[in-house]
Formats: sequence, C-alpha cells, structure tokens
Amino acid sequence: MLIFTALAVSIPLALLLLIRFTPSPPVSEMECARETLSKAVSNRADTYSKKLFTQAAIYYDSAMVNWKRENKRFLYFRDYEKVAFFAELSTKKAIQAGDNSITSTSTLKIKLKQKIETLNDLVSEINKLFTTYPLSSEIRNRISNGKMLLEEAEIAYKKGQYLQANRKMTDSEYLLTASYDNASTNLKNYFKSYSVWKNWADRTIIDSKKNRDYSIIIDKFSRKCFIYYNGSKKYEFVTELGKNWVGDKRSMGDKATPEGMYKVSKKFDKNKTKYYKALLLDYPNDEDIANFKSDIARGTLPPSAKIGGLIEIHGNGGKGIDWTEGCMALTDKEMDIVFKIAKVGTPVTIVGSLVDIQYIVNR
Amino acid sequence: MKNKVLMGLAAITMVAFLSSCGKVPQVQIDATNAAIATAQTAEAAVYVPAELAAVQDSMKVIMADIEVQKSKLFKKFGPATLKLDATLAAANKVAADAAAKKAEVKNEVETTLTDIKAVIAENTELMKKAPRGKEGAAVLEQMKTEMATIEASVAEAQGLYDKGTYLDALNKVKAAKERAVGINTELKDAIAKVKGKSKPAAKK
Repeated sequence: MLIFTALAVSIPLALLLLIRFTPSPPVSEMECARETLSKAVSNRADTYSKKLFTQAAIYYDSAMVNWKRENKRFLYFRDYEKVAFFAELSTKKAIQAGDNSITSTSTLKIKLKQKIETLNDLVSEINKLFTTYPLSSEIRNRISNGKMLLEEAEIAYKKGQYLQANRKMTDSEYLLTASYDNASTNLKNYFKSYSVWKNWADRTIIDSKKNRDYSIIIDKFSRKCFIYYNGSKKYEFVTELGKNWVGDKRSMGDKATPEGMYKVSKKFDKNKTKYYKALLLDYPNDEDIANFKSDIARGTLPPSAKIGGLIEIHGNGGKGIDWTEGCMALTDKEMDIVFKIAKVGTPVTIVGSLVDIQYIVNR
Repeated sequence: MKNKVLMGLAAITMVAFLSSCGKVPQVQIDATNAAIATAQTAEAAVYVPAELAAVQDSMKVIMADIEVQKSKLFKKFGPATLKLDATLAAANKVAADAAAKKAEVKNEVETTLTDIKAVIAENTELMKKAPRGKEGAAVLEQMKTEMATIEASVAEAQGLYDKGTYLDALNKVKAAKERAVGINTELKDAIAKVKGKSKPAAKK
C-alpha cells in the first residue's frame, strides 16, 4: 500500500522535475535566424551577396543539425548552446548579406544606368563619325556585336537582372571602346595632312580667281566634287572613289584615290573610254614619284611595286558605293558638265578633307 | 486502496501514451521534400523564384516546429503534419507554375523567333529598294553588317532555345528583334523619303 502511494506521488513529481529542469531549445533564436534568411532571400542576397548568404545558410543548417542531434539525447542531458550559437551566427550573416545585397544592387543599378548612357553616347559618336568611313570589316563587326550586347544588357537591366546586364555591358564596353579607339586613331592619322590639304585647296581657289578659269577640287572625306570658276563655287557633285579611299595612293593596284595638286592631261570623249567620258589627270606628279621612291628605299613598299597611273574623273557614277580602282566617278549627267568646262591643264586638286577633324567630330 | 493503485497505473499509462504517441511525420516530410526537389528540377528557381523561396521557407518553419516538438516530453506533431500537407500542395503548385511559366517563356521565344525571321526577310527585301545615292550605300553596308550580327544572334538564341534555356534565349532574341525592327524603320523611312522626293510638286 505504502509502496503504491509512494509510486503514485513520486512518478508525477519526477516528471515535473524532469520537465522543469529539461533544457529548452533556442526557439526564438532559430525563428529569428530563419526570418532573417528569408528576408535576405527577398532582398536577393542569394544572388547579390552570395558568399555571405551561403555562410548564413550553412550556419542555419548547422544549427538545425545540432538541434536534431541534441533532441536524440535523453531530455535531461540535452545542450542547445551550439544551436543558439549557430542560429545567432546565421542571423548575423543573413543581416549582413541582406544589407550588402541592398547596397550592391543599388550601386550596381546606378553604375549600369550610367554605363548604358555612356555606351549609348559612344554608339551615337561612332555612328556620327564612322558610318561612311571605310572601317575594316573586323572593326565593323566588333562595333555591331558591341551594339547587340548593349541592347541585350539594356533588356537584362530592365528586367532587374543586374549581374547578367553587367556581364553583357562589360563585353559591350570592351568591343565598342576598343573599336572606337582603333577607328579614332585611324581617323586622326587620316587628318594629319589637313593643313597641307587646306593649303592646296586655298591655292586652287586663288588660282581659279587669278586665272578667271575653272578649277576642280575633290574632297575625299565628304565625297564631293566642287567646280570653281573665278574663285567662286559653281557646282557641287557627289563623287565615288576608290574602294580603299582612305589615305594617299602609294602604288599601283592599292585602289586608293591619290591626294595632290594635279591637272587634266587628256580628255576622253564618249567613244574613247568605257566610263562614258573621262578626264585623265597627270598622276603621278613629281611629289608622288618622290614619295614612291622614298617608300621603296625605306622598304615600306616592295622593290617590285609600281607607282600606277590612269587616274581619271569619269562617268558611270551614281552607284552609291566606292567602287573605282582609284578614280573619281560622277553620274553621266554631271560628267557632261565637268567635261564641258574642263580642258587640258584645268587644275584638279584632290584633298583628304576640306574641313578639319574637329569640325567633323563636332558637327 | 484499489482505486489508488488503479489511478497510479492510469497515470503511468497516460504518461507513457502521451510521450510516445507523437511520431515524427517522416512520410509527409519525405513527400514534401520530394515535391520541393521536383519543383527545383522544374526550374522553379529560374521561373518562379519567389514562390519557391516561400515554399522552402515554409519547410524550414515546419522542420523547426518538429524539432520543437521533439524537444518536448509530450510531443504533438499534428499541427506540423497539417502544415506539411499544405506545403506539399504548395510545392506541387510551384512545380506546376514553374512548368507553366517555362512553357509561356518558350512560347514567347518561339513567337519572337518567328517574328524576327519575318523582319529579317523583310529587311533583306527593303535593302534592295533602299536608296544608294550619296551616303546611302555606306549606310547600307553598315546595315548589312548589323543584319549579319542580328542573324548570328538569332542563331545563338535558337541554340539556347534548343538547349531549353528559354529565359536567356528570350533576352537574346528580344535584343535582336529590337535591332532588326530599328533597321526596318530606318529602311522604310529612307525609302519613303526617296518616294516623297520623286513625287512632282503640286502646282500653286
């Protein structure tokens, strides 16, 4: 009887004591860790602060593993200290990850916006300067690919895919900047002789006034043929040039249009040329010959190179492309006018450009 | 006396019952984890990331609840089981939503690919009619280069589509379409300008 009474009293008492002194798990710490992780995910820390977020997630998992392990032990011997420790670490890292993600996202967003604007400005500049400039197909392809990547970057940016946008933007920037630098250097080199060209053109116009006669000036960059009479511009035609018109003609077959002060040396009427009508120029002049010899001597041209000739202003133009072997082509109608006013000895000055590079850049 | 003994035994039986009846709903846990894994395989992280994150978070809550119960002397897994059932349903929905979104994006890629091919074909025809005088030809040369880039980009998008990476394919093909449409507008404007110029002026 006594034994039973003792049992009836001691068992619930033992249970109460067991419950009273059983260690409690860090429920609130775990909840806080989970909520912070969840908040970090909503702040896209898993993408924009991957390292910190991964650490936070690992700490949370460690807390759970420890919690599970402790729960397998007898109630009284459980120790949740490590669980709380990892939960707190997870919370700390998740807060850092979330904050870091917000800062990085906002910084990246601003940076991308600025970069998009800068690159779009660069594209406009490239379009303005180089649309009609004969860039190599490699450079054109690079520019085109750069533009495409910029477009892709903009789409990714609008969708909030900033990392993807950044990758595309970096590739685009590399292609566009390198191409622009390359093309600009090329253009600057082209304009190195501007002061000489200007001098030639001024002298040609002055001579036209002095001689009360016609003079022809060809501007390669703007692809214009100007006819002056008595120092005043009478006609302005579009001309087509050699396929490789950038730079001075150096040798036969380079498909370049020469630069210099020439004169009409011969006139070919309809049945004397396959290009409707033609004015043969006295290319090469003394300066061309001297330059050619110097190039051979310096080895910049092979000894077998020939200087070339038969540079003409002729008809059959109006194709809209630079197609000649180095000549200047006008439409047949325009050629009729030029053929009529020109005679043997009429000055024909061919220049790289009548305006300087600054004008072209700022126009 | 007898009553007391019986009460004591009843109390011991009750304690034993209460502390052992709560079994971890392992079957439901496994099923829900499998459903989440299926959702992940269905690329929920790509197509419905917020939904997937919500389900994963719910699972975390449940697993914490289960551990809370396991920490107690008197375990009660009923509420966790109910939550698991709800999360299982939610995970299945996430998988379905991911598949639906993926199909939607796939359709969008297909439509855009069809559209862009039509624009490219139209641009090729317009190029033939485009004015060539003055700077026209040089501009056309540039457009040709750009069209080649667009076609290469479309081919890349098609490759991404074939691999099933529809979101990347969509971004690529959309960018290509923007550029193709831009060229189309430029060409149409240039042609319209020439047509406008060739019309005889009205008498005044």
